[in-house]
Amino acid sequence: MSAVPITAAEQTVLGACPHDCPDTCSMLVKVRDGKVTGVQGNPDHPFTRGRLCTKTNHYQERVYHAERVLYPMRRTGPKGNAQFERIGWPEAIDTITSRWKGIIKEHGPTAIMPYSYLGTQGLVNGLTVGDPFFNKLGATISERTFCDSGACTAYIMTVGPTPGMDPESFQHSKLIILWACNILSTNAHMWPFVEMAQRNGAKLVVIDPVRTQAAQVADQHIRIRPGTDAALALAMMNVIIGEDLVDRDYVDNYSVGFDELAAHVRQYTPEFAAEATGVPAEVIRQLARDYAKTQPSAIRIGVAIERSAGGGQLVRALTCLPALVGAWRKPGGGILQLPLWAFPMNWPGLHRADLATPGTRVLNQWELARALAGDLGLDPPLKSLFVYNSNPLIVAPDQARLQRGLSRDDLFTVVSEHFITDTARFADIVLPATTQVEQADLMFSWGQLYLTLNQQAVPPLGEAISNSELFRRLARAMGFDDPLFYRSDEQLMQESMDWTSPALQGITMESLKEKGYARLNLPSHDEYAPHAQGNFPTPSGKVELKASMAAGGNFVLPVFRQGSNDHQDGGPVHALPTFIAPRESQPASAGQGARYPLSMMSPKSHSFLNSEYANIRRQRAHAGEQFVMIHPDDALSRGIAAGAAVKVENSRGAFVAVAKVTDEAMRGVVIAPMGQWMSTSRANATPAALNPIAYADLGRAPTFSDNLVQVSLA
Amino acid sequence: MPHVVTENCDQCRFTECVTVCPVACFHGDQTHLYIDPDVCIDCGACVPVCPVKAILDSIDLEPAREHWIALNQERAKALPVVRDKTEPLPTAAATRESLGL
Repeated sequence: MSAVPITAAEQTVLGACPHDCPDTCSMLVKVRDGKVTGVQGNPDHPFTRGRLCTKTNHYQERVYHAERVLYPMRRTGPKGNAQFERIGWPEAIDTITSRWKGIIKEHGPTAIMPYSYLGTQGLVNGLTVGDPFFNKLGATISERTFCDSGACTAYIMTVGPTPGMDPESFQHSKLIILWACNILSTNAHMWPFVEMAQRNGAKLVVIDPVRTQAAQVADQHIRIRPGTDAALALAMMNVIIGEDLVDRDYVDNYSVGFDELAAHVRQYTPEFAAEATGVPAEVIRQLARDYAKTQPSAIRIGVAIERSAGGGQLVRALTCLPALVGAWRKPGGGILQLPLWAFPMNWPGLHRADLATPGTRVLNQWELARALAGDLGLDPPLKSLFVYNSNPLIVAPDQARLQRGLSRDDLFTVVSEHFITDTARFADIVLPATTQVEQADLMFSWGQLYLTLNQQAVPPLGEAISNSELFRRLARAMGFDDPLFYRSDEQLMQESMDWTSPALQGITMESLKEKGYARLNLPSHDEYAPHAQGNFPTPSGKVELKASMAAGGNFVLPVFRQGSNDHQDGGPVHALPTFIAPRESQPASAGQGARYPLSMMSPKSHSFLNSEYANIRRQRAHAGEQFVMIHPDDALSRGIAAGAAVKVENSRGAFVAVAKVTDEAMRGVVIAPMGQWMSTSRANATPAALNPIAYADLGRAPTFSDNLVQVSLA
Repeated sequence: MPHVVTENCDQCRFTECVTVCPVACFHGDQTHLYIDPDVCIDCGACVPVCPVKAILDSIDLEPAREHWIALNQERAKALPVVRDKTEPLPTAAATRESLGL
C-alpha cells in the first residue's frame, strides 16, 4: 500500500474489520496526526450498513492500549510468570531460527509445530500466512478444525462447495429458521434482513437450547436438548415425506437418493424425536408442515451446531431439507452455511502444500494438550511451538493439561501477539504483531458476498510487524531462496484469488482502493437463486441426499490443514443422514450423568471475540465477570441464589463463575460464555478447562456442547 | 452496561437514532427518547448519527451523569417503542445551536 501521509487534518481511511466473524464490516478509520482517533462503520456498505459492534466500536482503544506488546521480548522468569525483557528483532529472529536449526538436526523438522487460526482473517495476514513457510520447513502440519470444519464436510458432501443463500436474500423469505445461531451476538449485521422478512409477514422460528435475544422476538422458539437436533431434522423429513409434502418435481430432477432416504427416515418418527430432543411430537409435526408449505423457506445455521458427537450428520440432515421442499427455487429459499465458497480463492497458491514433504505428519490442534503431555506417543515429540493468530489456552480443550504442557522446560515456544495473553505468558520469545489499522489486507467473508480491502491507516506502533513481514524475516533467516517467500503484501493480494473468475469480473485492486469493498459479481439479492434449477457442485451435479462422498470416509477439507490431504481420518461415514446421540449429554446417561448431571455449553461472549477484548476495560465492563446461566429449578435444588459464586466442574477440570439464575437457560443445561482470560478469572481457569478432547462424527469438529458438568456453591 | 440517551436529547428528538437501530430498542415520549437496556446490543450505530451527541456508551458517562442509566431503564419500560423517524421538535434547531453542535 502507498505511504501514509501524516497531516494535521483528519483523514478517513477505508479499512475492514479483521475479526473471525461472518459479518466482515467495512470500517472507516479516522486518522489525525498519524494517529487513529476513532473508527466507524461504513454507511455505504449494503450489508454492514454503517454499524460495527460492541467489540470494535472503539478499536483505537485496542491499538493504543497501555499493555500492547510493542517490542520483541525474551523470557526472564519461570514459564507462566510473564516476566520478559526487551530484545531487538535481529536477536529474536536469530534465537528462533538457531533453536529451530538445532531441533531439526536433533529431532527432525516435525518436532516443530505451528499453532494458528483466524486471529486476523485477512488473505495476507490470516489463515494461510504461515503455511508456505511451515510447509517448506517440514514442520508438523496443523489441522485447524476450530470452526465449521464438521459442518463444511457435511455440507460439501450434500450440496458441494456452493455459496448457498445470499444472506441479503433472507428479506424475501416467508419462513426463516435460525437454527443454533445466536444472531444478535455473533452475526448481528444479518439481523436486519431477517427482521425485514419478519416485518413483511414471514414466520421466524428459532431452534436453540438457549432463550437468546432473537428467540425472545421470534414467532416461535423451540428449545431443544443440546446435540439432539438431528433427530428433529430427520423427524421433519419423516413428516414431510409421510404426509406427501415433498416437492416431487424438484426432488426428481435435482437430487439423488430420495427413495433410500424415504425408507431410512421411517424410523425417525416425531415420537422418537420427541424422546430424544425434548420437543413435543406435535410441535415437530407442525414445524415440518410449516417449513414445507411456506415457501421460500430459509435456514441459517450457526457454527456451534456441529459441536456434539453427531454434529456432522446433523448438518447433513439440515442441508438435505431445502431440496425436499423445493426451497431453492426462489431467492430467499435454501440454506446459509458458509458463503465463503463464492470467493474464487487460489487456495493452492496460499497454502503451497506442494512445498511440504509428502507424508509429513498431521496433528489436530484440538489435541495440543495431549501432544505436549506426551500422551500421543509422538516420535519425535513436539519440541517447539509457534503460536500466532490464536490463544490456545482459552480456545483449546483440557486447559489444565495444556497449561502443564506449555510449562515444559524443554519446549521452545514463540508467540506473536498484541498482548501478553494467557498463552503468551508461557512463551520463550514474544513477538509484537500489528493490529488491523497498522497493516494492509484483503478480506474474504464467510458470512456475506463482499470482498473488502483494508488499507493501512497508520505506521506500525513500536516495532510491531505484520504476520506477512514476520514470515518474510523467518524465511530469510532460514535461508529459503524461493522468491515466493518475499512477495509484497500487494503481490500476496493479487495472487490470493483468481481475478479472471466471473465472480471478480469488474473488480480490481484500484476499484477496491477507491470504494473499500465490492460485491462479488453475482445476481442481486432479489434475483439470486443459484439452485433454482439444480446446478449443485457435487459429483452427481445434484443434491446428494445419499452422499457418494461418504464412501471415501471422514475427511477434513485441505483448507483447514495447510492444504494437505495426507493422513485423512478416513473413518466410516453413514451415506444417509443419521441420528447419532450425544456422547455425554444424554438424559439417560446414568454413570457419568449421576455425578455430572448438567449439560454445559460455552458459546461466544457478546462483548468478546473469543478471548480478544476480554482484557480491555470497555468490553469487560459490558460483559461483567465470568458467569454461568442456570435455570431457576436447577439453582434452587442446589441452594444457589442469583449472584452466588459457583464452582462448575467435571472430571477434566473446574472454574468459578457468578450464577445468573434465569430461564434463558433450559432445565438441565448451563451456559458459560467463553472468552475470559485465566489470569483475570477467580480460579485461574475458564470454561475450556471442562471441554473434552473429542471429535464429532465429521470433519473433526470439537464436541464442546456435548459436555456434562456439575454446578455447586463455591 | 448499555448505551444511554442523555440530556442533549431533551427538546430535540431528532430521531435519527431509531432509523439505524437494528433491534428497535428506543422508546420515547414527546420530548425525549430512552434506550431499553435489555434489548440494546451495544452496537453503537446510533452514536454517530445523533446530531446533538445525546447517546453514550454508559461506561463513558462521568459520575454526575450516571443517573441516566437507571432513568433509561425505567422510562424505556414505561413508554412505547419509537421506530420511525419523526420531525424534530420545533425547539430542536435552537437546542442544537446552544450545544454548539
